[in-house]
Amino acid sequence: MKQKAVLIAPLIAILFLSGCLPTSIIDDVLLVEAEGVDYLGNEKVMGTITMPNYVENPNPGSAGAGLPTTASMLRHLSGVTYDGKSLVDRFQQSGQMPIRVGKIRLMLFNTAMAKKGLYKQIDLRNRDPDSPRDMNFAVVEGSCRKLLTSADYQTQIPVARYIQDMIEQNTEQNYPESTMESFMYAYYGDYMDPFLPIIRKQGDHIAMHGLALFKNDKYVMRLSENRVFTFKMLFQKFNQGVYDYEFAPNKHIAFKNVHTDVNYKVKNGNSAAPDIYASVNVSAQVRQAYPKSLSKASSPVMEKKLNRHMAKQSAQLVRRFQRKGIDPLQLGQHVRSYTRNFDGKSWPERYANARFHCKVDVTIKQTGISE
Amino acid sequence: MFWKNSKKKNDQGPAQPSKSIADLLVQLETNPDFNHFCHKSKTLTCWISYINTVVDLEYIHRDLLPALYSERVQCMKDIAQVVPIDKLIETRDLSVIQTSLLDGYFMIQPSKRSQHVYLIPCPKKQARQVADTEVETSIVGAHDSFVESLETNINLVRSRIPIPQFKVEEQRIGKLSRTRISILYIEGLANKANLNTTRQRITDLETVSVINANMLALMIGDNSQSFFPQFFDTERPDRVSGALYEGKIAVLVDGSPSALILPSTVVEFFATIDDYSLTWPVASLYRLLRLFAVAFSVISSSLYVAALTYHYQLVPKDLLATLIVSRSSVPYDPIIEVLLLEVMIELLREAGVRLPTKVGQTIGIVGGIVIGTASVQAGVTSNILLIIIAMSALAAFITPNYRMATTIRLMRFPFILAAQMFGLIGVGLCFMFFVCHLLKLTSLGRPFIEPIYPMRVTDLKDSFIRLPSNMQGQRPLFLRTADKNRVNLHRTMQKKGKAKPDIDE
Repeated sequence: MKQKAVLIAPLIAILFLSGCLPTSIIDDVLLVEAEGVDYLGNEKVMGTITMPNYVENPNPGSAGAGLPTTASMLRHLSGVTYDGKSLVDRFQQSGQMPIRVGKIRLMLFNTAMAKKGLYKQIDLRNRDPDSPRDMNFAVVEGSCRKLLTSADYQTQIPVARYIQDMIEQNTEQNYPESTMESFMYAYYGDYMDPFLPIIRKQGDHIAMHGLALFKNDKYVMRLSENRVFTFKMLFQKFNQGVYDYEFAPNKHIAFKNVHTDVNYKVKNGNSAAPDIYASVNVSAQVRQAYPKSLSKASSPVMEKKLNRHMAKQSAQLVRRFQRKGIDPLQLGQHVRSYTRNFDGKSWPERYANARFHCKVDVTIKQTGISE
Repeated sequence: MFWKNSKKKNDQGPAQPSKSIADLLVQLETNPDFNHFCHKSKTLTCWISYINTVVDLEYIHRDLLPALYSERVQCMKDIAQVVPIDKLIETRDLSVIQTSLLDGYFMIQPSKRSQHVYLIPCPKKQARQVADTEVETSIVGAHDSFVESLETNINLVRSRIPIPQFKVEEQRIGKLSRTRISILYIEGLANKANLNTTRQRITDLETVSVINANMLALMIGDNSQSFFPQFFDTERPDRVSGALYEGKIAVLVDGSPSALILPSTVVEFFATIDDYSLTWPVASLYRLLRLFAVAFSVISSSLYVAALTYHYQLVPKDLLATLIVSRSSVPYDPIIEVLLLEVMIELLREAGVRLPTKVGQTIGIVGGIVIGTASVQAGVTSNILLIIIAMSALAAFITPNYRMATTIRLMRFPFILAAQMFGLIGVGLCFMFFVCHLLKLTSLGRPFIEPIYPMRVTDLKDSFIRLPSNMQGQRPLFLRTADKNRVNLHRTMQKKGKAKPDIDE
């Protein structure tokens, strides 16, 4: 009898106490989709959150029980708070339902915020187990609030999903990956600096606008859109990127890369001026060319031109990074992995003097179906 | 207590054995279907008794009684020569007399109270014709199934195993019912320990009556508290004979159209006889499909509850809108919604089974279309859940064994409750509970989830996948058969000879 009581008592306790667990029933919470932070100065920020606005399809009969549909929910909230404050907590008081952050897709910072430094925001996100690691970060030229709350977009899709879809499809092409995970990796990792895509509102739509390069947590340099391909080429192997090359004034050739890979080799890693050798292989499929500029016979000539041009651009790019003292390409990591007893302390000074040798080998695989 | 006092009055119970043949006859004479009369011919006077509802009256009138009237029967001993029968039992044993009379024997006594009797077997068995299988249907396999007569059933099996090693042992169990039970096995294959355990469990059984084989399975099972059936029950004689050839033991119960196969493992419950008619890749895929269906059926609705109640983070972003929109008009929590639909499906199934076949179809339509659509339109359940529940009900019915199918259908309820209490952790805990239980479970003392734990690679060849028959050269290791190889392994594995060109080149 006593044994049974010992067995049954916890079961009963579980049964009755389980009602006390806080639940987040999916349609009884407001799921934050995007957060935007605009810097106002003096450690004050303007925070904006958006929530999805699911419109029920006008299917007759499906809207039973006379309950309000989600279409009539709150769509966005904004307000002033201090830097590093959890926006979900800040706006909880104005939520008609509990606001939850677990499905957030997008975190936006305006350029002023990014220039001021993101370390409080990074800490906030990194500490919170509810933050999905694959959410996208981005820097906004202009105001995040305007971007997120504008009603004049062409699309009816919630703006957070619009932006995330845009960033994601660009990530599959010219832009390097910029999720929270990759950002945190570069931010917390040694001998590397993070980067984020820049987006901006252009009239009634939103567009990618190059890469924001960070020094630690501060936005210091903008990489224009036509350099992003070169950057990604040096950063990782990828495909489906498109590169436009103006080989003579007003004469363009554009190719899609079928495959690109990059290999690094390092010599004299602990010397004052380490030698970094990058060899890049590009398999290209020509998408567009100036008429009569390219034929089967002339493609080796064009390949050579491209080789020289891209190597030059890469070297320029690295030179600019060295001058700014930032390392978004994670060259320091490559040097470290090639060097026994790597001297990390003196690396920042030696990085500026490092010699970057780049060799690009473009192979034109295809010139299109007609000559 | 109350029942202790009432025990005393019960001394005239039906279980009281008759002291003498006179007592027995007196006891039987009250029945209107008991015939007891004096037979007088020119040469012989004797007393005849039989129960006319269990004997073959036609046989008695046509063959037995004319023979007794014949003048060649001078005394009792002549009966054996004159009456066209294969055996005449001569006995003084009262218990034999009693059971024989009740089984449809024709009793001849020299005098009214004589202890010394002659018994002639002439039982009449009312048995159904051997018909198509109904529970475990097969598309390309055999179509005959067991019926309620033990003789027919043994006949069905024996005609598939025409060897002298095939043994049938008969026992009677049930204090009152004395039901006939046959233990079938192939001598020299079936493991002796298994056989002894089976015999012991059946003889030691304390029971009043055994009505069917599944009832017996529950009584002789290793763990009577378990959710899971521990012995496979089948209505297919081909399945039984296949199992016997593997070295298993089958038990048949008189009056029950199913056979038990002992010992069984959990994977057997998900194999059908049709698997052996299909090519091995197809059969393997279907078995994996069944496995997936079981997992889906058990887990899906509890995952729905867990994800929608606690883990909104896990819902894929593209599904989020669909889920929220379909749930937005539902006034209940996910758990209530799920329980409502699950209970509805169980009601439908139960109603469909209980009703006659023709009405049963209507119930399916009413349940599936009318109630399903109406409940969504009324905003009681969400569209997505309706699909999930219907799918999981469908997946539960994919299990070939009916008893296992019911277990799987009911297994989801603890999962749903656990999901509501603790979310995914609850589902994990519940899963762990079932895994622990299965690990401990045995069938005839052999591990129930055998090819998985303990891991027996040879037995995996015919479990979730079915490898071709030339790789199935060994009998299941699990059974510890006396002869472990089915065939000459050397010959199945023989290399082909050197290829010769078709045309001389």
